[in-house]
Amino acid sequence: MSDVLVPPRPLTDAAPRAARRFTGRVLIGAAGLLLVLVVWEVAALVINDTVTLPTVQETVSETIAKLSEPYPAQGHTLWVNALISTGRILSGFLLGTLAGLLLGGAMASVRVVRELVDPILQVTRPLPPIAFIPLLIVWFGIGETAKIALIFSGVLPIVTIATLAALDAVPAELVHASRSLGASPLHTLVHVRLRSALPAVITGLRIAMGGAWTSIIAAEMIAATGGVGFVILQAGNYLQTPLIFSGIAFIAVLGFLFDGLLRLLLRAVDPTSR
Amino acid sequence: MSTLTAAPLVDTEASAVRVRDVSKSFRTRRRSHRAALEGVDLDIAPGEFLCLLGPSGCGKSTLLNILAGFDFPDSGEVLVGGHRVTGPGPDRGVLFQTPRLFPWLTTWQNVLYGPRARGLLTPALRDEAAGLLETVGLSDARDAYPHELSGGMRHRAAFARVLINHPGVLLMDEPFGALDAITRANLQRFLLSLWQERRTTIVFVTHDVEEATLLGDRVAVLSGSPGRTKSILDVGLPRPRTYDDTETLEFVTAKRRIREVLEAAP
Ligand SMILES: Nc1ncnc2c1ncn2[C@@H]1O[C@H](COP(=O)(O)OP(=O)(O)OP(=O)(O)O)[C@@H](O)[C@H]1O
Ligand SMILES: [Mg+2]
Repeated sequence: MSDVLVPPRPLTDAAPRAARRFTGRVLIGAAGLLLVLVVWEVAALVINDTVTLPTVQETVSETIAKLSEPYPAQGHTLWVNALISTGRILSGFLLGTLAGLLLGGAMASVRVVRELVDPILQVTRPLPPIAFIPLLIVWFGIGETAKIALIFSGVLPIVTIATLAALDAVPAELVHASRSLGASPLHTLVHVRLRSALPAVITGLRIAMGGAWTSIIAAEMIAATGGVGFVILQAGNYLQTPLIFSGIAFIAVLGFLFDGLLRLLLRAVDPTSR
Repeated sequence: MSTLTAAPLVDTEASAVRVRDVSKSFRTRRRSHRAALEGVDLDIAPGEFLCLLGPSGCGKSTLLNILAGFDFPDSGEVLVGGHRVTGPGPDRGVLFQTPRLFPWLTTWQNVLYGPRARGLLTPALRDEAAGLLETVGLSDARDAYPHELSGGMRHRAAFARVLINHPGVLLMDEPFGALDAITRANLQRFLLSLWQERRTTIVFVTHDVEEATLLGDRVAVLSGSPGRTKSILDVGLPRPRTYDDTETLEFVTAKRRIREVLEAAP
């Protein structure tokens, strides 16, 4: 029977080309970052004032110094502060994600839940999480609870909406195909509906993670005794501009790292993104 | 079982597919409901290749979805292999207009999805899957993902995915409608040789008269909405058929006869 069919061309020659494209993308991206550093350095040399704009070397040496030396004197090292911020983010993010997945899943499968929760989400979604900081401080004090609750309240609606939209977007034909191939409804739920929704859910997680970093830094600037946001605020108060840049660079690197992890996860579950 | 059919449920030889007085209407926003099918009757013998022909919107897909168990009739009776259809099942393989492979699975994993989901995966079945991929010409694309395949390759993969289940009935809803002429002709040839070999009962929806004439033993013509069985015609062309038959006089005559019925006023 195979003689009636055109033999498919081999698919293997695509692989090295993809690898070359990847290397090219990384090189171009690195060049872009390098360009920013060069512009920064030139501007700093022209301005010639550390408080307005420190040079790249000043920022780097300040960063290295504060990695081991606590700041302020009775505070923590940069490492510990970064760890504190990361801990808050992760707790709030994981709790918010879990709740969002459950809520989104419930909305997608139970009509009453959807109709009940949808208006609440629509009304609260435009509110920036930062608007809740004073309220959360009144409720929970300036301890960890308020900050984790802040992250949680920012992550929850994003993950809920992403999960709901992703489950709604699963093509009915895919579910039908699975059922008519003999899979049980439960097998179809897990291996087709949830599996098919996964990439879009992870994209939602990436957006939520970005938002979490924005709000945690804001919260640490208002009420905290540790964390990268706290360091930036303190450095600002004492006109230690190089340290402000260190803090900003730390956030950038941490944010990039976590987004990178989620992107790896996305690549692992979505073959079309490879 | 309703009193509508006199034949006992076990009488599978009489007809592989039996549709009796099936009606179906949909609720729409503007009108309270719109009739899609009205009193459709159809009997398909085991091993028969039946083409469902009719104008757009006459309910062909609706009927096929009912046979597949994705949707249910408002009234009437649908039996496949002597059993009342209560939902989708591996006894009825379905091929959609677009192939609908699972995009996160490779060709190989897609083909094995059915046996794996049912816990029936054996080494013998793996061998059979490898043979099927060979048959549909996808051995080299075994580890490729659906988005890396061409449209025709996806259709062939979807074929293999269904055939591994050995369905007694194949339900096909305009499966080649979206393909270019060459790929389409290739797949029609493949389907003909497959049917010649396996003698699976096939219900094939199309709105192409030539396709219906080439493939079908009989052609059921549905009339426009709401769909009813207008006429059932014997194609009457000898088997095995090949693609070259489309140029013979008998073929052209058969085609014209079917077109006349299709275009006649209801
Ligand atoms: N889910 C639905 N909700 C409402 N109306 C529907 C639905 N599915 C089908 N219909 C209506 O039922 C009728 C038959 O539709 P169906 O899809 O079965 O037609 P068809 O014969 O397959 O047409 P085509 O050849 O264009 O695919 C149409 O009038 C259509 O508008
Ligand atoms: Mg249709």
